[in-house]
Amino acid sequence: MAEQIFYDHSSDLSHKAKWYAGRVAVYGILIFWTVVCLFPIYWTVTTSFKLAPNVMQGHMIPFVDFWPAWKGWDSLGLSPRLAGQESTVREEFLKRFTNSAITSVSASVLAVVLGSLAAYGLSRFRYKFGFMRNPDISFFFLSQLILPPVVLALPFLVLYRSLDLLDTRIGLILLYTLTVLPIVIWIMRDQFQSIPVELEEAALVDGLSIWQAFLTIVMPIALPGMVAAFILSLVLTWNEYFFAALLTSTDAKTLPVMVASQTGSQGINWWAMAALSTAAIVPLIIIGVVLERFIIKGMAAGAVK
Amino acid sequence: MSQGDLLHVVTGDDIGERRRFIGKALIWGSFAVVVAAFSWCALAQTGYLAWELANWRPALYAYLLWATCLCIAQVVLHGEQGKRTLFVLPATLFVVAMVIFPLIFALTLAFSNWNLSAFEGPRFNGFDNVRQMWTDPFYWNALKNMVYYTLAILVEYSIAFGLALIMASQIRARKFFRVAFLMPLMLSPVAVSWMVGKSMLEIRFGPISRLARWLGWDRPSFFGDPEIARLTIMIMDAWTFIPFMMIMLLAGLQAIPRDIQEAARVDGASGWRSFWEVTFPLMLPVSLTAILIRIIFKLKLADIIINVTSGGPGGATDSVTSFIFREYRDRSNVGYGTLLAIVYLVLIVVAITVFMKAVDRWMNPRY
Amino acid sequence: MKTSVYNYMKRAGKIQRRDVLKGLGATGTMAAFSGVATGAGVRPVWAASHDSLRADILKIPGVGMGSPTDPDWQKVGEMCLGPIKEVVSEGEFFGVELTFMGLNNQNLHNFLFRGFLKPWEAYTGATINWIDLAQADYNARLQQSIATGTVDFDIIEMGAPFEGDVLGRGMASVMPDWVMDVIDMDDYVGYLKAPVGTWDGKTYRISIDGDCHTFAYRTDYFGDGSVTGRDVPATWQEINEISMELKGKTDPLTGLDAHGYLDPLKGWGGFGFYFLENRAAAYAKHPNDPAWLFDPDTMKPRVNNPAWVQAIQDVLDLIEADAYPADQINADPGTTAFQQFLAGTGSMLMWWGDVGSNARTSDTSVVGDVVGFGINPASDRVYNAATGAWENTMNEAPNMAYIGWGVYVMATVDSDSKRQKAAWSAAAHLGGKDLSLWASAYPSGFQPYRNSHFNYDEWEEAGYDRAFIEDYLGSNADSYNHPNAAIEPRIPGIFQYYSVAEDELAKGFAGQYGSAQETADAIAAAWENITDQIGREQQIALYRASLGL
Repeated sequence: MAEQIFYDHSSDLSHKAKWYAGRVAVYGILIFWTVVCLFPIYWTVTTSFKLAPNVMQGHMIPFVDFWPAWKGWDSLGLSPRLAGQESTVREEFLKRFTNSAITSVSASVLAVVLGSLAAYGLSRFRYKFGFMRNPDISFFFLSQLILPPVVLALPFLVLYRSLDLLDTRIGLILLYTLTVLPIVIWIMRDQFQSIPVELEEAALVDGLSIWQAFLTIVMPIALPGMVAAFILSLVLTWNEYFFAALLTSTDAKTLPVMVASQTGSQGINWWAMAALSTAAIVPLIIIGVVLERFIIKGMAAGAVK
Repeated sequence: MSQGDLLHVVTGDDIGERRRFIGKALIWGSFAVVVAAFSWCALAQTGYLAWELANWRPALYAYLLWATCLCIAQVVLHGEQGKRTLFVLPATLFVVAMVIFPLIFALTLAFSNWNLSAFEGPRFNGFDNVRQMWTDPFYWNALKNMVYYTLAILVEYSIAFGLALIMASQIRARKFFRVAFLMPLMLSPVAVSWMVGKSMLEIRFGPISRLARWLGWDRPSFFGDPEIARLTIMIMDAWTFIPFMMIMLLAGLQAIPRDIQEAARVDGASGWRSFWEVTFPLMLPVSLTAILIRIIFKLKLADIIINVTSGGPGGATDSVTSFIFREYRDRSNVGYGTLLAIVYLVLIVVAITVFMKAVDRWMNPRY
Repeated sequence: MKTSVYNYMKRAGKIQRRDVLKGLGATGTMAAFSGVATGAGVRPVWAASHDSLRADILKIPGVGMGSPTDPDWQKVGEMCLGPIKEVVSEGEFFGVELTFMGLNNQNLHNFLFRGFLKPWEAYTGATINWIDLAQADYNARLQQSIATGTVDFDIIEMGAPFEGDVLGRGMASVMPDWVMDVIDMDDYVGYLKAPVGTWDGKTYRISIDGDCHTFAYRTDYFGDGSVTGRDVPATWQEINEISMELKGKTDPLTGLDAHGYLDPLKGWGGFGFYFLENRAAAYAKHPNDPAWLFDPDTMKPRVNNPAWVQAIQDVLDLIEADAYPADQINADPGTTAFQQFLAGTGSMLMWWGDVGSNARTSDTSVVGDVVGFGINPASDRVYNAATGAWENTMNEAPNMAYIGWGVYVMATVDSDSKRQKAAWSAAAHLGGKDLSLWASAYPSGFQPYRNSHFNYDEWEEAGYDRAFIEDYLGSNADSYNHPNAAIEPRIPGIFQYYSVAEDELAKGFAGQYGSAQETADAIAAAWENITDQIGREQQIALYRASLGL
């Protein structure tokens, strides 16, 4: 540390002590918040291996407090015991899982494609649709974010019924695309704004068309941002409950609906509930761990002008 | 039209009469198909045609056709200029179809009396729903709660800012902490309400209740008292969304040029003063963006409330969405529920617009 | 039978004989009282030829052999197919496709139906598609289907409260006569007979379940030298006194604070209102009047009459006296039953048939061997809505909350006689007399609902403990066949009424209204709104029809 030369010996010591105290406080806060963030996940995962008495007695640490059991996972047909057997519950779970995967991925892809194009256009050109100019168009897109889901709930029910889109994955994909489109545009607009226009100008001078320039020059640079937008969309659509509960019943029902409906008049099976919750959150946790830097990049892109 | 384009290109499109005609023909021709398809479906629906109407898909396909033709026609009509329009047009057509039609439908619903259990279906009832809303204590109570919930964002913001500051400082294992802090955002609210709201807060065996007892709270009760119940909901919601704000703020902090902070330090500003005089003002735009987005998400708050408290005790935790959810789902009162939702939407739009204008005025003062 | 009872049976050895509150296990005796029902005094009907079949199916998989699984359901379905084979020839419905909508509760409901109907599909050549719904989504989905006209199912598993919505609109298919012969409707317990399941004199419902609220109490709280020092309360007045007296005392089992009766104070999507009804039934259900929620001539709510106000006042008094456990304001019915009563908090509870036995089977329960059952307690006075005055007579009125599940065939099949017959034969198979015995003896989600289910000899022979069966089933049988049973109005939107009442009650209990009367008036006003919205004339007509007036 270069500054040390400005301090004499004794104050240097006190400075050091202060520094250590500061470090302890900082790491204390960090570790405390890590526990706050991770404990619920730990609780969910361990509870899925508990039996009723473990839950009631508040046992926490597997192998120490309690011996893990597969009971919760049995109820999903996902335990070693049931691995080889045919299981209707597992089929049901996998069906919901597949539905969730297909709808969230498709909706996110669609949103990223539509949103990136729009965001690029808005960041590069001046438009005039009737009375609407660029800021108005941007606001038009972003304002969809404000729309509370309840406003669209029943109209969509009736609309989808007339279009025969109820309980179809297509219907859900379209709606999810709508809900995440503003976020994608938000992120991508800032992404494109941060790319210097000179790049494309040079390309255009070289004889590329605008679309060629967009696809070959701009897209590769903006790709991390697109991945980020995609992942954020994925998170939101994977977890979406309200519309899924409303618009699907059999064929297209998704995982969150299945989680929410695990209660009857017989009380709650915590272990089964925990197993299902775990299965529902694990894909996103993995994505979060592996692709964390993209997510952060995406949100950062939205934050810094 | 292209005046002021950021990407300025001179284009020399020569669009002849013939091309213009084809373009117009494309648009209006396909539009005629749309009109035909809609009227055909409408007629079939009302039974004027001897044709069984399975669904309105023909109208949907006609709209898709029109949308495609409209896009092609842009290029035909305007050449290079049209190709630029093509960037925005698909998204616009998509959003218009997905929002405008349902919204128009919602407006007609909002002014009708439609209880799903009534045999008659929707009946127009003018402003009856508005009058009912005016005297509905549940709705006003929910709106009041939304104000509390929104105010809680300031606390969330302070915590998120604090964490972001720490994360931006010299620490080890930053990546680990970043991943860990991100996790709550990835979890499904439904799973959170069950595993946190119901299981961890269970009064006897939940780990948080145990901790509370250990800390000296004899009879922990997280949802018994109205104030505490609302606070618990706020905390659960904050837990999910603090990572979001934190990451935005962290990005903002890292974007502040090092030399500005260095300069402040060289000037002898203490950490505290340099924060208030340098960092915080620089962070204002990011902060406002983060807060705005957070407000928008907060206004949709419902999943946790529906699953954990159903608005209780005595409506203390009700959010507008969770109240409308009950009105709509448990009481099948569709017309009234839709009106409440529309009014809510109007309130939100007004509030957000005012907020944004105020921020704009504040950030870019016009002399 | 509920899962828990079955689990309990498996451990039957542990149980000692318990006092049966009324000592009346004998169904026939009770059936003789059943004046409400059309077929009063019907003895359990027994077809001797079926005896061996019934004994045989009860051996699948056998008591103590673990929970039945798909092969078991299929085997039972196969063995019980006899009555269907008499009216349907093999392959008769080849090519017919039907859609069945029911509940997806884990290993209950639709899971069983699939197994039961597999042999039926194989025999008749028809195929069935399934719509599985969560219990919480059921009402909303049904209402949406009705309102948007998406009746995408041919057969539906439905509770009687929704009959007003569905039958009232003529959406269901009228039961053909041959089905009545197959399912032997005379065997139903009193309250499940007409008018339940009928509309305008026509029959629609095949019952597969019975529901009522019974009284569960902690035996260690009562008797000489107990913490209360009193006998098991027989009236709500006594229950209230005991609940007050218990304040500050100690639970004999857990050593924690003792509590009396547990009222759920939080809503449960409409289902929470049943629990106020339990109190109110004793005050408001006059033996001379089938109506107790509304005035059948005007649909004017009775919920703000002195009887109902008294019920609300009881709860408010107990809140005021701080007699409930902590956080009771956030306790929904599920919490009171499974997290309080079973865990040793509180000493009295009203619940569907299963909570008392669940107490002994569940590993989480600490109240194991100290639970007894009875019917809904009485009141020492009853309000007569006709005269507008209280009458000082003892009044008992069990609350037939939800009336149980039934199978209904939708009118969508009526245009095609082959489909119609196919749908009804599938429904009749599920509501068959022998099949239902198996369903009431093993985990299925359904409780006994036929007089023939209360033949304790059959249960004993199948390996069940007689003392328990008489104790548990006795309270159910007594309630089912009670002459003054409080039956739920089967009018459109009944759960809307319950749901709005829950919201207002929550405010009342939280002290946001000045008095019980104000709370009740708020509920009544909200109910009047709903009635006007749905259509008063129509509601009056349907209410009267549902009461059989």
